[in-house]
Amino acid sequence: MKNRHGSKEAAFRAVSLIFILTITLIGSGCVSFTYQQDVLEKHLMLQQPEKALEALDDQKLSDRDKVLYHLNKGILLRMQGELQASNAALEQTKPIIDTLDALSLREQAAAISVNDAMRSYLPPLFERAMLHTIMALNYLELSENNSARVEALQLNELLKQNGGNNKLPFAHYIIGLIFEANDELDDAMIAYRQTYNDYRANNTKVPLLLQQDLLRLSEYLGIHDEQKKYQDEFQLKEWPTQAELKQKGQIVAVIFNGLIPRKHSQAISAASFNNGQLHRISVPFYETRIPQIRSITLLAAGQRSQAELIDQLDQHANANLRAQMPAIIARTVARVSVKNRLVDNASGQSPLLGIALNIATFVSEQADTRAWNTLPQNILIARATLLPDKYDIELKLDNQYSKLWPDVKITKDTLHFISWHWANSNATGTRPR
Amino acid sequence: MIRKLITGTTLLALTLGGGLLSGCTTSVERMAVEESSDLSGDWNDTDSRLVSEEMIRDVLSRAWITDFQSQKQKVPAVIVGDIKNLSHEHINVATFVGDMERELINAGKIEFVASRSERNEVRDERRDQDLNARTDTINAMGKEIGADFMLKGTINSILDTDGKTQVRYYQIDLTLISMADNRKVWVGQKKIKKLVKRPGLRW
Repeated sequence: MKNRHGSKEAAFRAVSLIFILTITLIGSGCVSFTYQQDVLEKHLMLQQPEKALEALDDQKLSDRDKVLYHLNKGILLRMQGELQASNAALEQTKPIIDTLDALSLREQAAAISVNDAMRSYLPPLFERAMLHTIMALNYLELSENNSARVEALQLNELLKQNGGNNKLPFAHYIIGLIFEANDELDDAMIAYRQTYNDYRANNTKVPLLLQQDLLRLSEYLGIHDEQKKYQDEFQLKEWPTQAELKQKGQIVAVIFNGLIPRKHSQAISAASFNNGQLHRISVPFYETRIPQIRSITLLAAGQRSQAELIDQLDQHANANLRAQMPAIIARTVARVSVKNRLVDNASGQSPLLGIALNIATFVSEQADTRAWNTLPQNILIARATLLPDKYDIELKLDNQYSKLWPDVKITKDTLHFISWHWANSNATGTRPR
Repeated sequence: MIRKLITGTTLLALTLGGGLLSGCTTSVERMAVEESSDLSGDWNDTDSRLVSEEMIRDVLSRAWITDFQSQKQKVPAVIVGDIKNLSHEHINVATFVGDMERELINAGKIEFVASRSERNEVRDERRDQDLNARTDTINAMGKEIGADFMLKGTINSILDTDGKTQVRYYQIDLTLISMADNRKVWVGQKKIKKLVKRPGLRW
């Protein structure tokens, strides 16, 4: 009997030691993940995507973070102008995301007993939408409009599967641009209408670009009731007609401004009055960031077109975290109970083992702060209509910086796309809002 | 009891370890090209092959070839035009177009002329020959064969999804248009429907 008791005790000690070792390793992993993100961000702030990519490749990410690696790589490659390589990296995430859509009981159990970061990273809807929009934009810049259209259809399907009422204006607007670039104006009108509905649902101002698109296409497609509705609402006296645009080419400049705020961990720690056990709960929150750039101008052939704010990804990130919070809290509470029980049992076997296990469970309690951190904070678009010719196109920020695309050939009845990432932004605080 | 536990644990560890190690090794198995292997449910080589087989069978069995041959006393020359992928997947249309070209040329009933980009490359080479090749080996400009027909087409898809189950419907339409008068002399169509079920659980 004594022997059996002794063997049970030995087995329990072994399990406890394995748990301690495991979470010590995980703890070190969490620290290095945060540190590595800092390094990446430092390079991005200095507009050094090539160094950020080196830092990303040096990271020792686990299989759980494979999607994040490819997503970040996709952005960093496109920042260097390697659009095909960017799409190759981003395309790799799709089958992984499909696989991760299925629930892993093993990972869920690990999340309940260690922490939420034990689960594979599955991007939330707005990040998955951005995956398609960025790939589509890469294809548009490569003048592969058919491939961009494939991304638009995949994006449409994703949004439809997630309820349709997603309020992601940039995603819908880029779908509209893709259909317009493919000369499918009725589908473009549907996408622009959805973009309009997103702004209405979000109670945000409809950008002038979209106002003009809606008026132009509703007029061209003969949807007169809808055109009148937009005319009454926007009070625009004139807008470029479809017939005018047919004779000219358009330049569409997409600016990815700043960096999306990062997630941090907010922990509450306490010691038990009864047995001195340490308790900790930890939940993620987003820092606040102020974009440095407020105004961007597109300069072409003496024309100045002001870029307009199309979407604020930080708002989607915050909304997504708010929606996830009940589940995060439920898992956190369950974890506290599991860990307490483990420590209580260990203390019963050996007080020293109990203390060691308590420290390990305390340290392992980390919030899952993973996110696609190379995304921009907000997205602006500027459009200019030009007669067919070659032009120097320039994007000018409201600081001293600008970027020039020399000798861009504008052809008739064609949309030409350019984009620029300006990652510099200020984090103003790392306290939960 | 302890011995049994240790033996059991060792066996379990060895089994798991063995499993993990075998999972780390790349395994390659050769397959017959005709063998169907649907892994993701996406468009694959089998779909491409089915489309080309169907189209070749159809295009060769229609009256347009005999009509053309009896009128012009020659084999029709065809050029491959734009085959638009309007589906929700990135599909390489070059594979089934290539299959079609090969089968049709080998059957001796149709000639294919090079596409616009291929022609430009060949013309560059001819220009280069003009300057650098021996006179008796130069291929002169202006002797190209003009196409009698242009092959154009689209690939469309419709998705119907409910949770983890998805029906994927592909429709491939190819049209042969007479270069002389814009007549559509042949329309080929192939439909493919797949039911894709994704697992709700994973390890």
